[in-house]
Amino acid sequence: MAATGFMELALDQAKLALDNLEVPVGCVIVENGKVISSGSNKTNATRNATRHAEMEAIDVLLREWQSIGLDQPLVAEKFAGCDLYVTCEPCIMCASALAILGIREVYFGCANDKFGGCGSVMSLHESSSSDDLTGRQDTRPRGFKCTGGIMAEEAVALFRNFYEQGNPNAPKPHRPVRVDQQ
Amino acid sequence: MAWELIEVAGNLTSLQHSTVDVLAAKIEPHVANALIRQLNQVCPLENLRHVKRVRRRIECGGKPELSIILCLPFGPENCKNGFSEHVQKVVETYQLIPFIAKVASCPAMSKEDWEEQCKLWPTSYHPPHDIDGASGFKDEELPSIFDCMRTAIQLSEVGNAAIIVDPSSMQIISKAADQIHQHDASLKKNTCVRVESDGVSSLAETAEDNDRKFLLSSSHVRNDLKMEVSCINLWGWKKHRSSEQKRLPSEGGFLWHPLRHAAIVAIENAAERDKMLFHTSTLSTTKLKLKGDMQACSDNPPVNWPKDKEQSAHQECWSDLSRRNMPYLCTGFDIYLVWEPCTMCAMSLVHQRFKRIFYAFPNPNAGALGSVYRLHREKSLNHHYSVFRIKVPEPYLNGRSDFSNKCCSDSAPP
Repeated sequence: MAATGFMELALDQAKLALDNLEVPVGCVIVENGKVISSGSNKTNATRNATRHAEMEAIDVLLREWQSIGLDQPLVAEKFAGCDLYVTCEPCIMCASALAILGIREVYFGCANDKFGGCGSVMSLHESSSSDDLTGRQDTRPRGFKCTGGIMAEEAVALFRNFYEQGNPNAPKPHRPVRVDQQ
Repeated sequence: MAWELIEVAGNLTSLQHSTVDVLAAKIEPHVANALIRQLNQVCPLENLRHVKRVRRRIECGGKPELSIILCLPFGPENCKNGFSEHVQKVVETYQLIPFIAKVASCPAMSKEDWEEQCKLWPTSYHPPHDIDGASGFKDEELPSIFDCMRTAIQLSEVGNAAIIVDPSSMQIISKAADQIHQHDASLKKNTCVRVESDGVSSLAETAEDNDRKFLLSSSHVRNDLKMEVSCINLWGWKKHRSSEQKRLPSEGGFLWHPLRHAAIVAIENAAERDKMLFHTSTLSTTKLKLKGDMQACSDNPPVNWPKDKEQSAHQECWSDLSRRNMPYLCTGFDIYLVWEPCTMCAMSLVHQRFKRIFYAFPNPNAGALGSVYRLHREKSLNHHYSVFRIKVPEPYLNGRSDFSNKCCSDSAPP
């Protein structure tokens, strides 16, 4: 399946989030050309702002692999053969998490200017960071390859839908939610 | 040595006072403007935007003396004698004599830092107040702040620990220790990780750590224990083999989890508590009110609207007051971490809207709040917290392992 095929599945996950009044971000994780996990953003339902689509999809895999008895080195090996397709550039937290897990490759839709961790605000996918100014030796393993802009318009359209309706869980003073004006 | 609180924004540990070499030269005042223009074009100070191009000093005779930065230490690839052809041309045209100067490698985070930096070479300074949401602390808060850190340190026998506190009531919202290696929700939740009591105190005495810039002592100084801290040794999980590998995880649980750093687990516990205490979901009510709008703008009408019965019940609960009283994530809360968080954890704290972050020990490997990155200074983020480092007195740490063993494990203290 081409990258757009997997991205369409990720967009389906994002629509699922939108249907649940969540910020519409979705993702799938692919191994050997096959989707092995998917996730959609669940930050409102869990009241936990770290439950991004990527984290949801990662937890599905960790649960599954542990249930069949894989240990840490084997799971690390598995992640090294996995690619992630996500509708929006992983944030700084998720990009760090993906680097910790050692995922092989990430394909994303639209960029994330406010907190993107794969090029927009920070570049956590790059193994050799520009920390050289401090003379620090970089001991991080190889980063992951990152490709953006895949079906970005579709991803942005979902965000537009969401923000038109307003984030029902956002604190009141910050942004007028449409329901309040009725 | 007493307990001490330092704002990280104002006093970064190692990065703050580090310098880099640049090539500079003395110039005549009347050519300054032309030179600045030319050099900014051929050799902009890309990674040193806070450094001023020209330094003006008054010599002993009272005569001002100007120096200009020619280029960075490692110029472009086509460099000769340490600088590029363009710079070479400038040097020849104006007959300059380059010398090596030291400049501050990072923007100043406080007025004191800035004054210090300017002794080397002038820099520009933007007070951190430019960023919204920053909040300090009151002196009368200090005792309770130190108390919270004591509690966090006691929780962190091995690895990092996190405690979320509502400063308005000094109530502990949630606690967690690292859960990367072994995790069994029923056993480990909100409790300490145990260590062999014979190991800690004896090894602490022979601890060798050449890195004296970091305030570390007792068991916190030991490299092997440091490597157990999830935020320091991010990739350590890969080599770790769980001793209980034969066991299968309980339903929906994890035996171990590479991302369950203390901060992440503490946030999860706080979110669970939030759901328990404020389970009257205003979200469902909003859903109803939004229903019309949603269907107008979405091709896939949602399938999980609350049923009519719930609808009326929820509408009764709905009021502006209850909405306002319901906490939004961890808005207004503080978190205490024994170790400076890694980038993943630091960003999770941004997402969860914490007000203040306190940590005791810098994380030279991967610390995102002062050591390697300064995430809280990143202007593009939609939320900013204040960061403080608490200096823990060594006598406290030296006595700590015994004390901690006493309160955290069943075994008798040595």
